[in-house]
Amino acid sequence: MQEINFRHDILPLKNKLFRLALRITMDSAEAEDIVQDTMIKVWSHREELTELESVEAYCLAICRNLAIDRSQLKGAQTEELTEQNTAQPDASDPYSRFVQNEQMQIIHRLINALPEKQRTIVQLRDVEGKSYKEIAEVLQLSEEQVKVNLFRARQKIKQQFTEINNYGL
Amino acid sequence: MDYKYIEQLLERYWKCETSLEEEQILRTFFRQEEIPAHLLPYKSLFAYEENAKHVALDDDFDQRILAKVEPQKVKVRHMSLRRQFAPLYKAAAVIAVVLSLSTVAQYSFNRGEQVDYNYDAYKDTYTDPQAAYGTVSEALQIVSESIQESQVQNGDTALVPEQKVITE
Repeated sequence: MQEINFRHDILPLKNKLFRLALRITMDSAEAEDIVQDTMIKVWSHREELTELESVEAYCLAICRNLAIDRSQLKGAQTEELTEQNTAQPDASDPYSRFVQNEQMQIIHRLINALPEKQRTIVQLRDVEGKSYKEIAEVLQLSEEQVKVNLFRARQKIKQQFTEINNYGL
Repeated sequence: MDYKYIEQLLERYWKCETSLEEEQILRTFFRQEEIPAHLLPYKSLFAYEENAKHVALDDDFDQRILAKVEPQKVKVRHMSLRRQFAPLYKAAAVIAVVLSLSTVAQYSFNRGEQVDYNYDAYKDTYTDPQAAYGTVSEALQIVSESIQESQVQNGDTALVPEQKVITE
């Protein structure tokens, strides 16, 4: 691969990185900081990047690690889907702009209530449209493990979504 | 319309057996306005996935990150330019000092021993005229040879050393 150009190779990844960081931290200011740190970190290691197969996977992996570190530092726990926090959606969350109806809010909370690994995999697969191989590379897992996690995540979403739709909550 | 294909895809979607292309077909299907009632609940799931793709950072972010990444580059280049010229300045200063010192030194040394043009004050070094004549003609022979050689290369400038030899 040729030399890395910041504007051409790293900057265009900003939204993907932001969405991933946001999915993990669920805090847009925090996510923005993480994207910035990721880019600066990647840029300072740009000599090593030329040997990499995929700069994108490398960036996503760094972004995920930084996001996990930050969440742990903050002591942020995965939000449980309880009646209290289902009642009040976060207004500052950029997703809320797109989450127009109640149904979508339910999906939003269902996905964000998943454990971090499943949440990240759902984000990369269903939102970013990444292949199992790419996801495995980002998460440092085998493709089989990625599939198992995605299976659990989809089953859980399906089950809870059906329950909510059938009986209300 | 037959929705068997979609139902099938959906079933395989839950089992994680669909390919990326098939998942895109599902998303495209659920984007349309009219969806049969039994599939309607899933519309929001796929619409959510579709919409989540549009969450983005604003352009201010570009400014901020570029300000952090690119000035470093400019700064480094600026420093290196200065650094590149610093040794040149030093060298120029050293040369100037050496040149002026050597000129001054040469001037003060040469002041004492100026060339003596008073031929009458010269003293004979030979007592036998025959021996003196032999030495002089030998010396002139060497001079004329070297003049012939140097004339080929330099022309008349080679005459300067000749005068020196004669005066000795």
